[in-house]
Amino acid sequence: MRQNPLPLSRADLMKVESPARYVGGEVNAVVKEEMLEELEKTGRTSFLRFAFCFPDIYEIGMSNLALQILYHVMNEDPHIACERAFSPWLDMDALMREKNVKLYSLETKTPLDQFDVLGFTLGYEMCYTNVLQMLDLSGIPFYSKNRGENDPIICCGGPVAYNIEPMADFFDIVMMGEGEEMILEFCEKVREYKLSKETDHPMTRAELLRACDEIEGIYVPSLYECSYNHEIGAHLRPKYEDVKTMIKKRIIKDLDKVTYPTDPVVSNMRVVHDRTYLEVFRGCIRGCRFCQAGFVYRPVREKSVDVLCEQGRQLEKNTGYDEMGLLSLSTSDYTKFPELAENLLETFEGHHTSLSLPSLRLDSFSLDLMEKVQSTRKSGLTFAPEAGTQRLRDVINKNIREEDIFSSLRLAFQGGWSTVKLYFMLGLPTETDEDVIAIADLASRIEKLYFDVGRETGQRMRRLDITVSTSLFIPKPFTPFQWEKQDSKEELIRKQKLLKDHIRSRNIHYAWHDFDSSVWEVVLARGDRRLAPVLLEGYQKGLFYDAWDDHFKFNQWLEVLTSHGLSVDDFARAFSEEETLPWDHVSVGVTKKFLLSERHHAYKEETTASCRENCAGCGVACFGVGECFANRDAMAKEGGES
Amino acid sequence: MLQSELEKKMTTQAHQTAYVQRCRFAREGATTYLGHLDLMTVFERAARRAELPILYSQGYNPRPMMVFALPLGVGIESTCDYLDISLECPYDAGDFAKEMNAALPEGLRILSAKSIPEPKDSIMSLVTTASYRFEAKGIRPALLKAMEKDALIVTKMAKGKAKDTDIRPLLLAVKSEQDEDADVVEIITLAGSANNARPDLILQSLKQYCGLDAEIAENARVVRTGLYAGNYPDTTPIEDCPVRSWSDS
Repeated sequence: MRQNPLPLSRADLMKVESPARYVGGEVNAVVKEEMLEELEKTGRTSFLRFAFCFPDIYEIGMSNLALQILYHVMNEDPHIACERAFSPWLDMDALMREKNVKLYSLETKTPLDQFDVLGFTLGYEMCYTNVLQMLDLSGIPFYSKNRGENDPIICCGGPVAYNIEPMADFFDIVMMGEGEEMILEFCEKVREYKLSKETDHPMTRAELLRACDEIEGIYVPSLYECSYNHEIGAHLRPKYEDVKTMIKKRIIKDLDKVTYPTDPVVSNMRVVHDRTYLEVFRGCIRGCRFCQAGFVYRPVREKSVDVLCEQGRQLEKNTGYDEMGLLSLSTSDYTKFPELAENLLETFEGHHTSLSLPSLRLDSFSLDLMEKVQSTRKSGLTFAPEAGTQRLRDVINKNIREEDIFSSLRLAFQGGWSTVKLYFMLGLPTETDEDVIAIADLASRIEKLYFDVGRETGQRMRRLDITVSTSLFIPKPFTPFQWEKQDSKEELIRKQKLLKDHIRSRNIHYAWHDFDSSVWEVVLARGDRRLAPVLLEGYQKGLFYDAWDDHFKFNQWLEVLTSHGLSVDDFARAFSEEETLPWDHVSVGVTKKFLLSERHHAYKEETTASCRENCAGCGVACFGVGECFANRDAMAKEGGES
Repeated sequence: MLQSELEKKMTTQAHQTAYVQRCRFAREGATTYLGHLDLMTVFERAARRAELPILYSQGYNPRPMMVFALPLGVGIESTCDYLDISLECPYDAGDFAKEMNAALPEGLRILSAKSIPEPKDSIMSLVTTASYRFEAKGIRPALLKAMEKDALIVTKMAKGKAKDTDIRPLLLAVKSEQDEDADVVEIITLAGSANNARPDLILQSLKQYCGLDAEIAENARVVRTGLYAGNYPDTTPIEDCPVRSWSDS
């Protein structure tokens, strides 16, 4: 493999933690030799050079499926060369600044400012400042408006990009929704722009951005003017008449036909999720009212069992991983789940390859399956009731009933399981102290069940370990709770203490999530363009790696926020149903009208059936595909317009 | 299956015969920056990609049976290292090496493989001596100077605590082949589980006692060039060691 020499010496690399993060050389990494030949001969290349940037460390980024999918999709194209770059950890960050080394791609060790495009995938809000770090280390101007014809185009996508407003001023292009097709259409436009520079009629950057606006799903923040007002909320106005007023997310209609990376890059070093992934379906039939993923990934589109089995077989062979994770929201909702699981287990028979099954709903089938896949020690069982009472579970539309939890746990305890993890949220809309105390009560009734099972069966029981874990409710855009306020920190601390005081057994442990980062997450998730200077100033004061608890400095962020005349309450407050929300110019298919009606159902403690039982008319039928579309009744037609 | 039954099954499994491939391998490039555990995983995944019939250990957590002769530290290249990979069935050694090489990441290469019976002595226990080549400006005179000292006390970190240790007794001899080149030197050291000379500590001693510039020492290229059994100077390269098998009396 030809490439530039590493811009860092052996001594430099030996000074930092895990130097393997910075050297590349993985199996299935792609280097386009033809591009290198062109560069060697002429110093130029006709390839579109795309740096796929992950704003966190290598070990996290290499576990990201979006990176693997889009890397593969782009490198399949004969005119695109996609390479990877990750946030350097603090030790390497300091070293690169000290030695004046620019951030470089892992494949060819090319400085990022020599690429045509830098594309960031944004999976969580707390990584925003790492985007700024990567731009900074590449010597690229932060603000879109300050970049010129010779700077790369900076774009992003991913689930948090649906409300990109806090970061909008830093990006030239934002891609809404699933990227497999959109990114190629975008790359083609950028390549035209690049090649036009060699002609007598070079396209300008401004022209390129206007051209990209024509691509469905693409949002060009600089084409809009923005103002804020407490009465009407955020107001975004297109600067030109032909700029689209509503950006509609893109989806892939047929997941069986879209490219899936069956030869993903295999890291040489251990990464956080050290396994290969098989994506089973997209979307979720459930509609839990707090869950952003449940709404933005609609509609449900499944891959066929045959396609999945073939992809699974190839993934195992091409990667050498001894573990494969089935990936989707609520995996056991896959219609042919038993068939798929059994088929894969058969394929892996004798290979010492295990199947990892996150987000399973427990029933006798899944318990039996877990027995099969876990030939080794029994790990814990996980439930996410999210709320302590049935009343509050109805409010949030969490379709899990206490009877179901108890009947599955009875089976599990009989089978020898003794570790249970229970996930809840504090601060949910309409929550009372009674709901909080009910969490402790549920845990102690589970404890009682365990000993009852022991008595009934006469088994020698292991030590029981129940973990109750609470995170804090975060009102997210594109959910029925997008208008809700977040409880104040004082109120959340009080509720947490209340719960803690009600947990008295030594078999039950209580684990909680940090308040400060949840508060900051709300600010970023529901933020608007006024936050851009805040984020930049914070970054310049050394605040980044906010997703890492040890490095997140809430008080310093508050200082910066306040100095810009803003407060946490500006973003954590209840939004009125009349005001324009900062993300109202984006359509994920699900209509605002539907979200509002779901909010009203929540207050009436009324549940909404899953998309498989009944179409609630959320609006996503406008895509004309998906399981619900195929089966929908007349109701869906009403909600079809955004 | 209940946990207790699983335990019973695990302990009653019969011993499987291992068909061992004794491999000599080299590493350079990006893989030089891998730690020992990661390197093991890389070999394991390569063997799985090559669909070789690797033998797994028994018990709760079956692992591929691979034994490295001596861990390679982060940043150290090698032109001659060894590992034993156990297979379920006999396999042609040439094919084995070829198939592994097609699956290994760039920078790692099996130089040769040899089919041996399941060895009674672990390959790790054979290693007594290693040779390393250092490449850095003026390293040869520095190392020759070190060899003349009675003691070379360096501080090493062990379990989070600094500990002084004399590494001079671990240095056996300087090879004379490159004596015209001041910037390359090859040294023979004690190696293995009992007394092991770590190349980074050797460089540290050159910096401390023999006037080698700190930056030059840090940037020195370190290459392991051989692993041997036996007592110096009567040493045998690991690949030439006779294998005592379980059937020998």
